[in-house]
Amino acid sequence: MVKSFAPTTLAEALKLRKAHGLTLYTGGTDLMVEAKEDASYLFLHKIPELKEIKQDAQYIRFGAACTFSDLIDHPLTPKILKEACGQIAAPAIRNIGSIGGNIGNGSPKADSALIFMVTDSLVRLVCEDGERMLPLKEFYLGRKKLALRRDEIIAEVLIPRQNLDNYYYTKVGARNALAISRVAFAGILDVRDGVIRHCATAFGAVSDVILRPAEIDAMLTGKTLTQAKALRQDYLAAIDQVIVPIRGRVGVEYRKDVCLNLVRDFLDVNGI
Amino acid sequence: MKSISRSIPKKDHGEKMRGQAMYVCDCPTEGILFGRMVRSSVPRAKVANVKLPTLPDGYCYVDKNDVPGTNEVLMIVQDTPVFAGETVEHIGDPIGLLCGPDEREVLRLAGEVEIEYEMLEPTFDARESDVVFFDYAYEKGNTAAAFAQADHIFEEDFETGLQEHMCMETNGLIAGSSDGKIHVHGSLQCPYYVHKALVHALGCRPEDVSVAQDVIGGAFGAKEDYPSILACQVAVAAHKAGKPVRVIFDRKEDIECTSKRHPSFCNYKVAVKDGKVTAMEIEVLYDAGAYTTMSPVVLQRGIIGAPGIYNVPNLKVHGQSRKTNNVPNGAFRGFGGPQTFFAVEMMMEHVAKNLGLEPVDFKLAHLAKQGDSTSTGGKYHFPVPIAPMVDAVLKASDYRAKRAAYQNQTGRYRKGIGLSAVFHGGGFTGSAERDLLKSVARLHKDKDGNVEILTANTDMGQGLFVAFTKIVAETLDLPHDKIILTMPNTDRVPNSGPTVASRSVMVVGELIRRAAVRLKDEWKDGEEQTVTEHYKHPEFMIPFDIKTFSGDAYPTYSWAVNAVEVEIDTYTGAIKLVGGWGSFDAGTPIDENILRGQMEGGFVQSLSYGMMEKITAEKGKIRNNTFSDYMIPTAMDLPKLEILLHVEDYPGGPFGAKGGGELPHVGGAPATIAAIENALDTKLGKAPFLPEDVMNHLREVNR
Ligand SMILES: Cc1cc2nc3c(=O)[nH]c(=O)nc-3n(C[C@H](O)[C@H](O)[C@H](O)COP(=O)(O)OP(=O)(O)OC[C@H]3O[C@@H](n4cnc5c(N)ncnc54)[C@H](O)[C@@H]3O)c2cc1C
Repeated sequence: MVKSFAPTTLAEALKLRKAHGLTLYTGGTDLMVEAKEDASYLFLHKIPELKEIKQDAQYIRFGAACTFSDLIDHPLTPKILKEACGQIAAPAIRNIGSIGGNIGNGSPKADSALIFMVTDSLVRLVCEDGERMLPLKEFYLGRKKLALRRDEIIAEVLIPRQNLDNYYYTKVGARNALAISRVAFAGILDVRDGVIRHCATAFGAVSDVILRPAEIDAMLTGKTLTQAKALRQDYLAAIDQVIVPIRGRVGVEYRKDVCLNLVRDFLDVNGI
Repeated sequence: MKSISRSIPKKDHGEKMRGQAMYVCDCPTEGILFGRMVRSSVPRAKVANVKLPTLPDGYCYVDKNDVPGTNEVLMIVQDTPVFAGETVEHIGDPIGLLCGPDEREVLRLAGEVEIEYEMLEPTFDARESDVVFFDYAYEKGNTAAAFAQADHIFEEDFETGLQEHMCMETNGLIAGSSDGKIHVHGSLQCPYYVHKALVHALGCRPEDVSVAQDVIGGAFGAKEDYPSILACQVAVAAHKAGKPVRVIFDRKEDIECTSKRHPSFCNYKVAVKDGKVTAMEIEVLYDAGAYTTMSPVVLQRGIIGAPGIYNVPNLKVHGQSRKTNNVPNGAFRGFGGPQTFFAVEMMMEHVAKNLGLEPVDFKLAHLAKQGDSTSTGGKYHFPVPIAPMVDAVLKASDYRAKRAAYQNQTGRYRKGIGLSAVFHGGGFTGSAERDLLKSVARLHKDKDGNVEILTANTDMGQGLFVAFTKIVAETLDLPHDKIILTMPNTDRVPNSGPTVASRSVMVVGELIRRAAVRLKDEWKDGEEQTVTEHYKHPEFMIPFDIKTFSGDAYPTYSWAVNAVEVEIDTYTGAIKLVGGWGSFDAGTPIDENILRGQMEGGFVQSLSYGMMEKITAEKGKIRNNTFSDYMIPTAMDLPKLEILLHVEDYPGGPFGAKGGGELPHVGGAPATIAAIENALDTKLGKAPFLPEDVMNHLREVNR
């Protein structure tokens, strides 16, 4: 007999998680695509602690069970994240699909996860015995492979408070709604007084994991726009190197061309 | 508009919106066996052995040995087996059916059936196939002389892909027996097709079988030929099990294993003299898939329309449909027309461009007109309203100004606009209405003056019941609620033919109108009365000979002009539909809203046939088998389409109505591809053309 649990407190959930393992289930929008008859679920959508959105001195903090619609409606959500969430699926999925599930699914095509990657966000992983914080980049070990222990759940996603106003985001799907990303690109450029304080890019749906080439982006950080312009070709060549797409619904060349076009455009619109 | 065109609410809206409509999957399942098909996992092989798991009590396996009549599905040619015989011919070819009372157990057991195959060499590309199922040809004038005297000769190849119907409701049927009779009901478009197929497979008398339609969640042709196959399978199973059997496909099975639109390969050779097209030599090839199903008639319609709406004095047309080891292709809205109309519209576009002329003007200069001879030496008996329809669409879309503006674009986003003009012939091809269908329709009046319409035609959401009700009510001058019309059951309704070929309003609607006229004449208050009408072939038609392809293929034509505007993102290849305009002439609308709905829906299907829908198959195995993988447009992908109705009354149709159902699915794709061409400043010859194709194209250009 399959047994599933719908706890209403985090403590209770963690206890059940430790005792039985269970499959974590928030909105079920990924899980139910291939519903397993014999699975035992731990439902996380009724736990208020996992639904909070707040900020502290360092981070904007999103409870893992927050839905995309919750994020879209909340004043603390950065614009880039709202834009990405607004292009996920369609209203019905956005109303129940969660960011914890989006990350927990371990897909390189996860659209909110792309934004958490480009913003160098952290995940707070909790278990009955304690908790730890991990940069999202380290949480992804490979396709469908996560650094999540059997007794842990993702409780929160923390976006470092930084200047995210100047962003670039493009999702390329096969249609305008209910479409999984075929390529997604996000870029952030914080320029003050003509100097690039921060540059970050991330590429979704091209490889086994979301690519976040921080070392390459560092080439531009600290540079003036003029200096950056001089580095443009080197920067693009380096990006070209790291984008090694895998074949999927669309071909490798397509993915590569689109990624590079979008990065170029990201530089263009910023005068680099 | 005539008063009959004024829209009324559709009869099925209420119950569908309230969730009360009974689809086949809603029928109670007490005492029913669930069936799961055991299918070939290889594209071509001899079936050497079938090893069954141990079947618990109450479970059974049904295959070719259980067919009481003939192991053939009666269609046009009898090559589709009920269950695979010695060989399997495509992935998904049904070998047997596993039935039992517990659905999960049935699924598990079906998965445990082991098939041993002796592999045979499959063919997936029709161009490489040496099995020709059908071969037709016709000629007109003297092409050799025209080519000899030509100033220019242009030659090009065109290709179109598979298209899946993507009905909301998958295929599903239930068979059972009672009163010594086999009853089959479910999601089906043509009750009498199914009825005949059952009689043949079961080896019984017509009166031993009854077929009824349940509420249908979409058909588009998907439920024209396919239910005959499934019906034989479930009926054989019910016969063997002695219990009702239900088979309802899941989405993957429905996409992977049921019929689709034939892929096409066309070659067009065009002679031009003094700026005019004088001759066309056309080669048409359709991929039939593993069995013939509807391929002969699909191909016939395809080659008849191959020179498009133009008056081409010298013509040589040759068409084949060949066997491959792909899933058999069958009926789909447009029925062979969309493929060749795509090719000819692109060809005319390209010839015009080669001559440095605006395609629309070039097309207008070649239009057939009333009295001209058709491709098969028949006659356009009625006005050809393309010129005013083009005019209306040019105005509505601002085509000329846009076309002028969209030249030599170099930016990231590039716009394009394209236009197509097409026809669709209403009813069955040639004399088939008279010689094969011989439709019969009936009206029955009860003592209280309620009039029941008795036909075999089905409402699958297209609004036929509203149309029939209005035709009879208007003719008899009765309120709509005095007209009774329920889903057909072959026990009760005469054979008025299938609900296909845009024929139901035009042909059967006219039968019931005539019946209503007679009933009105003979009306006696307080008495039961029955009036039966038989099909009458239009006397004006030039007899059609299917051997020589000569004469009137259709009594009349419905016409469509489509313009499509796109914007292409050259960074991502994304093709955005910016605008769509269509002028459609389906004669008098029997209900304006319904006709507009049909035009919009078909236009959308046709647009996405051009720029979105694509089946990806590897070695005969269809990969994109879900709604999230096989792309059809959402509301977010579509502009507001502007639908203009042009009315040329057809005297042979009820109140002047002609065929409407398929018309909008013919011209959207060529208009879309023409628009993409305009944006990319190139010439294209294939549909669909997807973002990946855009990027490939740009890569080529930049190289
Ligand atoms: C039609 C459709 C369209 C879609 N479109 C998009 C799209 O455009 N973009 C996109 O990114 N996604 C899309 N998705 C995928 C899906 O909706 C998202 O990934 C969503 O965020 C999943 O959230 P959920 O709460 O429903 O996850 P669930 O299905 O509940 O879980 C997904 C996975 O995460 C695990 N999990 C859930 N919660 C936690 C947690 N708190 N801690 C650790 N692991 C957890 C689960 O065990 C499971 O493995 C689509 C899905 C569908 C069905």
